[in-house]
Parts: sequence; C-alpha cells; structure tokens
Amino acid sequence: MDTKAPARRLPALLGGAVILALMAAMPLLGTGYILQLATDTLTAIVLAYGWNLISGFTGYLSFGQVSFYGIGAYTTALLVIHTAVPWYLAVLVSGVVGALAGLILGPIMLRLRGILFALGMLGLARILSVVFNIWGFAGASLGLSLPSALMPVPIYYATCLLALAAFGITAFFTHSGFGLDAMSLNEDEEAAAALGVPATRVKVIAFMLSAALPAIAGGLVAWNRSYMDPSSAFNPSLDLQVVVFVLFGGIGTLWGPFLGTLILMLAGEQFGVSFPNLQLALYGVVVVATVLAFPGGLNGIANRFGWLRRPVVRAPRGEIRGAPPPAGAAPPPGALLELRDITVRFTGLTALSGVSLTLSPGETLCVIGANGAGKTTLFNTITGFVTPTAGQVVYLGQTITALPTFRRARQGLARSFQIPRLMPSLTVWENVLLASRHGRQADRAEAHTAWVLEALGLAPMWSLPASRLSPGHQRQLEFARVLGLQPTVVLLDEVMAGMTAEERETVRAVVRRLPEFGVAGTILVEHVIAAVVDLCDRMVVLDFGRIIAEGPPREVLANPDVVKAYLGEAL
Amino acid sequence: MLALQLLVNGVLLGGLYVLVAQSLNLIFGVMGVVNLAHGAVIALAGLFTYWFTAQTGASPLLAVPIAFVAAALAGAVGQRLLIEPVMRAGGSKSELLSLIVTFGLSYILIELALQLFGADFVSVPYLQSSWTLGSLAFGKALVVAGAFAAGMSALLYLWLNHTMSGKALLAASQSPTGAICCGIDVARVRVTAFAIGVGLAAAAGALVIVIMPVAPQTAADLNLLAFVIIALGGLGDYVGVAIAAVLLGIAQSVAGYYLGGNAEYVLPYVLLLAVMVALPGRFRRVR
Repeated sequence: MDTKAPARRLPALLGGAVILALMAAMPLLGTGYILQLATDTLTAIVLAYGWNLISGFTGYLSFGQVSFYGIGAYTTALLVIHTAVPWYLAVLVSGVVGALAGLILGPIMLRLRGILFALGMLGLARILSVVFNIWGFAGASLGLSLPSALMPVPIYYATCLLALAAFGITAFFTHSGFGLDAMSLNEDEEAAAALGVPATRVKVIAFMLSAALPAIAGGLVAWNRSYMDPSSAFNPSLDLQVVVFVLFGGIGTLWGPFLGTLILMLAGEQFGVSFPNLQLALYGVVVVATVLAFPGGLNGIANRFGWLRRPVVRAPRGEIRGAPPPAGAAPPPGALLELRDITVRFTGLTALSGVSLTLSPGETLCVIGANGAGKTTLFNTITGFVTPTAGQVVYLGQTITALPTFRRARQGLARSFQIPRLMPSLTVWENVLLASRHGRQADRAEAHTAWVLEALGLAPMWSLPASRLSPGHQRQLEFARVLGLQPTVVLLDEVMAGMTAEERETVRAVVRRLPEFGVAGTILVEHVIAAVVDLCDRMVVLDFGRIIAEGPPREVLANPDVVKAYLGEAL
Repeated sequence: MLALQLLVNGVLLGGLYVLVAQSLNLIFGVMGVVNLAHGAVIALAGLFTYWFTAQTGASPLLAVPIAFVAAALAGAVGQRLLIEPVMRAGGSKSELLSLIVTFGLSYILIELALQLFGADFVSVPYLQSSWTLGSLAFGKALVVAGAFAAGMSALLYLWLNHTMSGKALLAASQSPTGAICCGIDVARVRVTAFAIGVGLAAAAGALVIVIMPVAPQTAADLNLLAFVIIALGGLGDYVGVAIAAVLLGIAQSVAGYYLGGNAEYVLPYVLLLAVMVALPGRFRRVR
C-alpha cells in the first residue's frame, strides 16, 4: 500500500521550509499584537507536542501536564527575582527542573494505567495549585512579579527554537526504534515487555521529555508576562486546550499537534473576538465533536493526507531481502531451562504446587492438562509475568526467578500468547522490528526482521497494519515476533486452539522448522493433544497445579492417572 | 466534647458526600465511564437552586426534584447522543474516549454556568440556626441536606438490590454479555443508569449549595471529591463508597478545624494520590 515512500518527502520538506521562513520573518510584520499572537501560538504548539509525547505515543492520557508548566514558570520567576541568572539560563534551568520532576513523579504516577493515570495527574495539578497558593516564598495566591522583560523579539525567537526542539523530539519518536518502543506501550504493554521492551524506562523517559517541554514554555511565559500566579500557572483549562489541539490535529503524529494548534488557535482568536467568553465552550465542542467523528480511534487531520501520515519506522528500502543470522555460539551444555520446586499461590488458590521441570537442548516438551490445571501460570512464571511464591527458575545455568520479563526476552526466552497480542495499529514490519531490536540480533535488527518476514511468508504484506491481516497471518506474525528475538527457548501457549485442521498444519510446519531459526528448545502448551503428540519428545501432564505424569507421549497418554484426569473415573 | 462535635459535623457532611459520590459510582459501575462532567452538573444544579430560591423565595428542597428531573432528561439525551457512540469502540479504548468526551462536555457545562449565573461564589441561606442537644450543636441546614442526601442514596441502594429493574442494572454492569443473554436490553439499561446518575448529581448539587458556596469553577473540585470517595470505597461497591464518604466527611471536618481551610481543601487530593500509589488494586472495578 505504501510503495511511494520517497515521493511524500517533497511536500513535507517544502511545507517545512515555508513554515521556517514564515517563522523567521514574523518579527518583520510588527512587534505588537501579531508577534504576541505568534509567540502564544508557538507556546501552545510546544505544550501540544509535550502532551503528545506521553499521551499520544505511550498512550498515557494525562490531564495534568500543566503541573510542569507551572513548575517551570515558578522556577524561572524565582530564579530571575532572587539570583543574577540571565533569563535564558533561568528558562533552561526550568527545563531541567521539569525533567527532574518528571523523573521523580514518573515511576510513581506511571504505575497507574488508563483513566487512573489521567485522574491522578489531574489531582497532582490541583495539589500543586494549592501548594503554590499558600507558599509564602512564592508569593502565595498573589503570585510573583518579575522585572519587566520588554524584549518580545528575543522571547519570540526563543519560543521558536523551543518549538523546533519539540518538533525534533517528536520526529525522533516517529522515526526511531525508541519511538517504536513508546508506541508499542500504547498498544499492549504486557506484550511489549514479552518482546523485550523495557516498558518502565521508555515511559519514564517519554514522561520526562513531556515534562521538560512545558516547563521551559512556562518559564518563557513567566518571563514574557513579568508575572505569574497560581491560577494562571496551574490553570486546568490549559490542559483542555492542549488536548483539543492535539486531538483535532492527530494524536501520536508528527504534524498533528502543529496543525491542530495552528488552526484552532487562529480560529479561536477570531471566535474570541466575536464571542469573548465562549472560547472554552468552543474547545469543549471541538473535543466532543472530534471524538464522535472518529469513534474507532482518534485520527485527526494529520492522518487524512498520505504525506502527513507517520512513516513506517526504519522501513526497508526496496525489496525485502533478509540474510539468516550468523551461526551463534551454541548454548552452554546442561539444561536449557530448569524449574525447581515452583509453587505459585494467588489469594486462596494454589495454581502450581511443587512443580519441577527440565528442558534439555534440542528437546520439544509438551505440557497438557485440563482447564485450570496451571498451564498458563507455568508460562507466566517462566517468562516473569508471575513471581513464584517459592522455588527457582534457572535459565542457561543462571537463576532468573526475579528477573523482569523484558530482560528474559532479551536473553532469548521468548513466548507467544494464547490469543495473538499483536500491536494492531503498527505495521507487520514494525511488529517484528520491535522484537528484533531487543533480541539477540539487535545489532542487525533490520536484516534479521527482513529474514524472519521472508521465511514466514509475510514479506509481501510488510507495510500493512497488523489489524488488517487475516487471522491465519496474524498467527504467523505472532510467530515472527517471537523469532524476531532470535530466541534460544520458545514457549508456545495454545497456538493451535480453535484452528481448523488445515491451519493447524501450517503452525505445525513452523514448529518443526524452529531449529532452523536457532531455537534450541521448545515448550508447547496445548489442548488439542492429537495435534502435538508427534511433535514432542516428552510430555508433562499438569492436574490442579501438580505434575501427575511425565515421559514419552505414548506412554503418558496410556497412563491411567492421565486418563482419569481428563475423562474421570471409569464406571 | 469538641471531638464529638467534629464527628457529628463530619458525619452530616459525609451524608451529603454519599450522594455526590454514589451518582458517579452508578455511572462508572454500569458503563465504565468516569463522567468528568459530574462536577459541572453538580455546580450547575447548585447555581440553578440559588437562582430558583432567589426568584421564587421557595425552599431549596423544592429545587431538588426539579433539578433531578431536568438533569435526568438531559442525561438520557446526552448519553444517547454522545456517550453511546463511543461505547461501541469497546474495552479500554472506549473508557479513554468517554473520558475525553466528558472532559470536553464539562467545559461546555462550566461555560454555560458562567454565562447563566456568573463567576461569583454564591450560597443559599437556608435554616441558618442549629438544634442543640446538650452541648452539641447540629446545624439545621447540614442535618436536612445530609439526611436528604443520605436518604436518596439509601433509596438508590434499595432500588438496585431489591427490584427487578435495579437488579437488571447491576447485572448489566457485572457482565454485559451475560445480561444480554438473560434478555436484558443493555443499551436501555445504560441510558437509565446515566440518566439516574446525572439526575442524582443534580439533586446533590441542589443540596450542596445550602452548605457551601459554589461557583462554576467549583466543578473540578467536586469531580475529584467524588472520585476520591469512590476510589477509597471501591469502584462499584455501594456500601464501601457510603462508608468512605462518611469517613472523608469526618477527616475533612477534623483537618479543617486543626489545620485550617487549606488542609481541608487539599485533603481529598492527597488521599487520592496516596491511595493510588499505595493501593493500585483498589481501583479495579468490582466484578
């Protein structure tokens, strides 16, 4: 679908050049009202880009980024009043303070998800507003007066530079592997961790950047206005404006925040002249209308035109040609994976009790058991989604019981999910690249991605979003992502559930080919016993969290205990 | 004796808070929608009550049913036009989208309140005296408003748990698919829940104004107040929320007396953050 990738560079470059020229020439049009409007618009653009980083890319919707704007404004105000620091340095210090605030608050706030994060940030802004209302050193509710700046042109250009920096950071997010990590969190944070994405680090960095930008903007505004008080520093309607601008322009895009802000600021200005008191209501209407117009997902104007759309991250040039990975070092001798006496208890329920298991090199192990036998908990324990109550997980001779999921994935311990958990709006290419970037072929991630896509027959559809694939291809893509990590051990969770015999055959073919991809050992969890009997070397039967039988498949299936667990007592 | 007086004031305030929170809880419990326009509805209804009593000289209690009916009708229309389309996106996506929609809506309502009633803080002077019992003083307005609000919350609870239509609503909130299979018209249940939730919010607003001054910009505070109570009590847990409301009323009355008005004001936010950080599990919907 996206075969004309280079062609769209031209309009974007031309547009960029025109915008730059206009920005540079703005002070020639006068230094009064027009320049102030331009400065305000650019400030809003910075706030929009800042909000877009955390809420657009990582999907953590914040209604409290104004907190950092206020922190920055007060930092600059206090520095200018109490020290001899020049304004431009004070403004930069504001940015550092904002980023630090993000670094401290991020790990706390980002533990919350969805609406809770949104409301938590809203609450944070209110608390800060109250604190600054009573803090005498910061002028309490009266606020602070700064020495008059009276330098509209330098402030304008400083805001220009900041806006360009915000654009640059956003361009980094849309074009880089780091940005891909951030976007994957928006789609499915757990699945991202299973592909080796260090979720906490990525979102805290995004949060810091999205705190630093408004903090610098706040500093510039405080200096420009020579005045700052709590109700304007922590004005909640600033967040409304930013949300409106970004939603309207296109959330999570490079040009959306710019276009949305520009159009709505200028329209709002006109509207504000005619109906001075209805501006916020207008923004409210735009928000509601934008969401209702695109209920399936927020596509602003930036997604309406091809050349404004986000390009595929590190897209392949020309035809996809992969090379198989160079033969890696053989895994150390001894067991690949060893579970020692694993017990997992959830409140009131023992999911696994005293499970010990070994996976030897070259082996394919099947784990079967009725519903609720503990199969998925077993996988979750091995991959680090669940920490066992007791026992140890040893991988390649190293104890990994407490290692976070993403580190296990990076070391070659990969899993698939029962229901494919693809990143639906990312392309096929990006889904696999995400894994390759964190796997054991990270230094040749693109070549590895291309090779995996080619080997699994997904190359022709590399530029399609994962959500547009057929269910069969989605399964293949789930495999492709696992192989993107170039794993040593692969855990496949009921990959054949609900498939037709024909589809099962495709999957079985891939499982047989796993050693070609450098996989040294496989564990299959399966319901459909017939589909795996001939694939596995050894079979383990779980029943109510315990291993009740283990051995060659034919033997295990003839075991009376196993028959009893599956079919009940003979009459 | 002072301690007892603070306790009494806190419990009465808590009675009012129960209604403020329970209306939001109903909407969240059934639809998974955090209605950010909740505070705006309360403020708007409070300001309407101020205007109503000033115009007619009638008791503010008379404004309660008017506000309830008007808001419930508006809520039903708003749900159909604005919320239901977003609900179709499904899952966490619809939660976030509905959050954004009600966020926008709240500003429309706040702006409407500003246009209609101005930006000043107003309150309705009503039953300014107190009943005394020994050395305890019971502010009449607080008693009447608290009791009225607590009574309405109790009615809501009885309706949910002891009538077929109420149980249908609970069923739809616990498992929409299961409810559909039982022949419950879930879309209609959602409209009903939203209408009643918004109506109760408006009723709460008509009572709030006799106890504390309200302005359009109070909306955000009322919102978070309601959310804190729900968070403390457990989303969708009606008994837990009632207990949390009373506890918060007591905590605020004690904090206000010993630490001053700022502490009283900021207490809910500090509690909100503390609970979010310390007990994230508290925020899961009761299923």
